Amino acid sequence: MDISSSRAMLDIRHYSKSYGEGKKAADDVSLRVMPGDIYGFIGHNGAGKSTTIRAVVGVLDFTEGEIYIDGHSVKDEPIACKRVTAYIPDNPDLYENLTGIQYLNFVADVFAIGAAEREREIRKYGELFEITEALGDLIGSYSHGMKQKLAIISALIHHPKLLVLDEPFVGLDPKATFTLKELMHELCRQGTAVFFSTHVLDVAEKLCNKVAIIKRGRIIVSGSMEELTEGQSLESAFLEADSHA
Amino acid sequence: MRNSLILLKTLLLSTSRINRYRHCTDKRKRGKLAGGIVGVALLYVMLMAYCIAMCVGYGAYGLIDAVPVLCALTVSVLAFVLTLFKTNGYLFNFREYDMLMSLPFSPGAVAGCKFLYMYVNSLPWYLSISLAMLIGYGVYAHPGAPVYPLWLVLSLFLPVIPMLGAALLGFLIARISAGFRKTNLIQTVLTLIFVIFCFSLRFILEDMFRNDKVQATLETVSELTGSAAKSYPPAAWFAAAVTKPSLPTALLLIGASALLFAAVFAAVGRSYRRINSAMKSHAAARDFRLSEQRQHSAVRAIAFKEWRRMTGSTAYMVNAGIGVILAPLVSVLTLIIGPDRIIRAVTQGAPLDAAMLRPAIPFIVYFFTGMVATTACSPSLEGKNAWILQSLPIEKKTVYQGKMLFNLVLTVPSTLFSILCLCAAARSPLLDTLLYLLLGAALCAFSTAWGCVCGIRHLRLDWENEIEVIKQGAAVAIYMLPNMFAVMGLTVLAVFLGTRMSHALITAVLILVALALAALSYRRVLRLAA
Repeated sequence: MDISSSRAMLDIRHYSKSYGEGKKAADDVSLRVMPGDIYGFIGHNGAGKSTTIRAVVGVLDFTEGEIYIDGHSVKDEPIACKRVTAYIPDNPDLYENLTGIQYLNFVADVFAIGAAEREREIRKYGELFEITEALGDLIGSYSHGMKQKLAIISALIHHPKLLVLDEPFVGLDPKATFTLKELMHELCRQGTAVFFSTHVLDVAEKLCNKVAIIKRGRIIVSGSMEELTEGQSLESAFLEADSHA
Repeated sequence: MRNSLILLKTLLLSTSRINRYRHCTDKRKRGKLAGGIVGVALLYVMLMAYCIAMCVGYGAYGLIDAVPVLCALTVSVLAFVLTLFKTNGYLFNFREYDMLMSLPFSPGAVAGCKFLYMYVNSLPWYLSISLAMLIGYGVYAHPGAPVYPLWLVLSLFLPVIPMLGAALLGFLIARISAGFRKTNLIQTVLTLIFVIFCFSLRFILEDMFRNDKVQATLETVSELTGSAAKSYPPAAWFAAAVTKPSLPTALLLIGASALLFAAVFAAVGRSYRRINSAMKSHAAARDFRLSEQRQHSAVRAIAFKEWRRMTGSTAYMVNAGIGVILAPLVSVLTLIIGPDRIIRAVTQGAPLDAAMLRPAIPFIVYFFTGMVATTACSPSLEGKNAWILQSLPIEKKTVYQGKMLFNLVLTVPSTLFSILCLCAAARSPLLDTLLYLLLGAALCAFSTAWGCVCGIRHLRLDWENEIEVIKQGAAVAIYMLPNMFAVMGLTVLAVFLGTRMSHALITAVLILVALALAALSYRRVLRLAA
């Protein structure tokens, strides 16, 4: 599909967020994620990655700046934004008293996914992540990695246009990590935009076509991978940008 | 010992409103916290006022000498009941269990600190009662100076023994349940059975006292103390220590409390790890085969999620479900043994009969089923899961509609069945019965929507323990107190008016009032969710 002329799937404009009267957790953040992009969001612990991501997915309110998803304002049209977005948090606190299948049906019901389609999608992703047999068990019995897999499946079954992931590879086993990377590539080829935060620079370098580096709430560098690295490794580029900021 | 004190201090700090107020920089949140602190302080004042009023009554009838034992019994019963409802969640199955047990604390120390944390948290309630009664006693009995410090010091120990009793009982229930595959389910059922047994016991005892004509002799202080001492010695120790006053008796109460504490937590410590492991682990079959799935509406999906949330937590189930279970049980019992005996037990011989009480049937049932609305605590119960609903493409009102649907599904069938049983027992005419059923349904609609208003307005997601929301949340208190007083008032009004005009007319008017209140509350929910 031709995605060069499409509008930005995620457009963050001068977004700032401060907690109470304290320091800004995100300060004048601006970036654009186009359909088909795999956009990495990199920074130290506490740099403001999760604060930005939580505002993008409508979990955290904000007063300064604007965030648009597929042309809809997160502030003014939150439902329209969420309808095309899927979010996977870094530590998925899921409903422990539901079974895996009940949770997936819950999400599917909210997105009004028909019975046949949900069954097909659950079967597909359940087998891909090798979790089908555990879907009848309570989420409380799942390991961290299994909860992560369930959160990923619940995010994918409704075909989002924008996939937002906060440290998605933490807790996943090597096979699931590989599967997720493959899925991200596949989604990207279909025109889905992927925006994710990570500490693992090697993963970002191999996976992303665009990257933004955030430090103390401010974007210090952003652009395509080629522009940013200029032949060196992402790690070197990150350390260089970090030391100059 | 030092580590235990550090743990206790940390537990108290982690849930202290004052601590959150001190360290919060957000003005809006600070305002809310300050409001919460003032609100709770007001409740303490209200409780004190009620207790002082009670003392005034005792003083007026020349029964002021009964106040010490009354104080001891009131605090003890309250401490026992409240602890029983809170043990699961505070002592067992709490969120930070793994973290705490990974630190250098013995299981007994963790359990003991959790108990002391529960004790310190509840102490202001018990002290409100005790101090108010000391004031009343001081005004009417003019006791000597030593009574005041003794009363104050012993007030700190008065709730310990009943709380330990309830904790031990909770521990035994948890220990029995830990041997089963469905630990939480067994624990919920056992706790409910025990609570129902406690309710029944009260009536059985009252009936026994009445048969023995003890009621008539209760007006003399010595006999009252004697009967209390027979059934619950610590109450007699307290009364004896403060009225004589007697230092050895005071030391007996303090010593017994300390010894019992040490004994209970030495026993609890031995099985603590095993019980918590059983509660925190879930059976996993890992044999699921995907078959045909069904599509439902978002509202129904949320309602189902609420059902699973409630049945997955013993503390939630016991607190929110007790009314809807008790109402049909009491109603069926009334149908079997006849309403007159129940009326005699409850009203303690007041000149009332079943026919007179008919207009109050919907309110009597509602007193069970409507005193706890899941909608008051379920918005806050989302806690760390709040991100799920917040990130889904559904309007807030859909979320609350789902929560309200669940509360209606929970309360309406129980309410209607109970009303039907009571109407049959009281031989209510058909038209009246139909109107009572409508009134019951309207009251459920009101409680659901009003609970939701309280739940949204006093939303609190940053809790450490679900009991903070289920039992002690501002939303639950603000929902329950006016609701309780309004129902009491309406019950009296309905019975009073029922002796002067048609029951059907009174009920029809009350249906309209309940529906109007439900509609107003629902509109408020929609506005708050906008």
